[in-house]
Amino acid sequence: MSQPVAEPVPHRARTAGSQRVLPAVLGLPVFLWQAVFFAAPLVFLIVITFWQVKSFRLEPAFVLDNWERVLLSSPFQRALVHTLTLSAVTTVLALVIAFPAAYTIAFRLPARLRDLAVAALIVPIFSSYMLRIYAWQIVLSPEGLINTLIGHLGIDPLPMLGGAFSLQIGLLTLTLPIAVLILVFALSGIDRTLIEAAENLGCRRSRVIAHVLLPAIRPALLLAATTTFLLAFGDYISPLFMTGSKPPTLSILVVDTVKSGSQWPRASVVGVAMLLVLAVVFGLGRWLGTRGTGKGHS
Amino acid sequence: MTLTALSRTLQYAFVAALFSFIAAPMLVIVVFSFDANRFPAIPWGGFSLEWHRAIFEDEMVRDAFVNSLWVGLGTAVLSTVLGFAAAYVDHRYRFRGKTGFALLVALPPAVPATILGMAMLAFLSRIGLFGRIETITACHVAIATSFSMAIIGLRLGEMGKDLEQAAWNLGASPATALLRIVVPFCKPALIASFFLSAAVSFDEFLIAWFVGGVHETLPVRILNLLQGQVNPKINAIGTVVLVISLTLVLVAQRFVGVKVAKKVEAA
Repeated sequence: MSQPVAEPVPHRARTAGSQRVLPAVLGLPVFLWQAVFFAAPLVFLIVITFWQVKSFRLEPAFVLDNWERVLLSSPFQRALVHTLTLSAVTTVLALVIAFPAAYTIAFRLPARLRDLAVAALIVPIFSSYMLRIYAWQIVLSPEGLINTLIGHLGIDPLPMLGGAFSLQIGLLTLTLPIAVLILVFALSGIDRTLIEAAENLGCRRSRVIAHVLLPAIRPALLLAATTTFLLAFGDYISPLFMTGSKPPTLSILVVDTVKSGSQWPRASVVGVAMLLVLAVVFGLGRWLGTRGTGKGHS
Repeated sequence: MTLTALSRTLQYAFVAALFSFIAAPMLVIVVFSFDANRFPAIPWGGFSLEWHRAIFEDEMVRDAFVNSLWVGLGTAVLSTVLGFAAAYVDHRYRFRGKTGFALLVALPPAVPATILGMAMLAFLSRIGLFGRIETITACHVAIATSFSMAIIGLRLGEMGKDLEQAAWNLGASPATALLRIVVPFCKPALIASFFLSAAVSFDEFLIAWFVGGVHETLPVRILNLLQGQVNPKINAIGTVVLVISLTLVLVAQRFVGVKVAKKVEAA
């Protein structure tokens, strides 16, 4: 006997029901998870900025006092300027170092080495940044590796740890692999015929780079720049271990304010202010990235 | 040497210098974890396993390691499942608020961990979830799902929409097609996501530090050790941590198959 044949159901009708159920079943858990463990905390952070601390207890209120006190305080303003300068310097340094490196990796290295280079860039992004900074401390400290090494050669110890130099070493440790990686991917994706055409028309390397390559990867350059800025701006580890928190950055200010006890509203104001700065930077990056390419209007 | 050859040599030297800068700190940790000296210095004090033995005898380090394993495993499983769901919903369906949904998953790594950690601590302690291993896991999942969705999304993009539609036309329900066609197709990306999520969790310290309370993960243990006196055990713990995260990332990379070369040659 043949198997019972089911009534032929047009697949549209059959799937219509589950086309509503399935996305909900799949999407809802993720939505709820991110809502509870990511969005709600951030919203709550904004809410606390308007709360009050009364006899060491956080109480719901609606006061602008915290904002006023923090934004007008000179420690906050100093930290803001310091952090902004720091991240801007890191961003410029990272791009200046990353572009030539990415250029060589994308255009000069044979395919096998190029894949190896990409792997070598991905690994540090996911391996302990804190440990790498600790290693730099060992290398750069007054009794550290470099100083004992040059001491054997009869050179006086160099003061490397504790200043802008060591801080940039730390921040570049964090940001360079990502910046190079973004640019390698962008340069590798460029249509080679464009470059060959420019060369056939008599362009020198420098002109090809300035007039063909850089414009072609502008969105990636801006992505690398904003990512670098974001990481440097929010970093806590390098300022803590490379300079001993002096002068404090905004992240140090946040953690110190939280640790000092009940000043949650003020710490939250600093945190929310940092997010606002990053939102502005990202908005700017997007605007610059899409302006003139026509993508912004679609 | 011609000018072009010189310029090429300089370019290679520059890239070599960059990779030395990237690799140097990791090498320092590993090399000095086997140093007999108490304080890392040149010359090297001779080979010793003393510090490695010391960390295995340190109960706090062992506890932190076990915590990290559980948190990492939980994060790997949950964020791979959630990341797959998010990537699939984003790939397959159109709905109101889709951009918001995608941002909710993609954004967490873009928020500085200090701020996110503080926010999570404030909110989660209000709803009574402070200081639990499960809470650290839940927070790590919120971050790692972003990476997971990105990797799986890339793979789904390679699938094309007709494969699944063919299954529907042959009578498979969307759920069956999902399980029999889409999930197997995504398998390499799922495996990559599993290991990468574990790596993300295994190295995260600020959020675990904020929301974990007395429960330390390994990176939090290191952070607390670093804030005390110089401790030669740190290099030994560091070596273990580096070996584990290196393994996780390299395994992930094997499955996701990052090949820039292909892209270039295809162009």
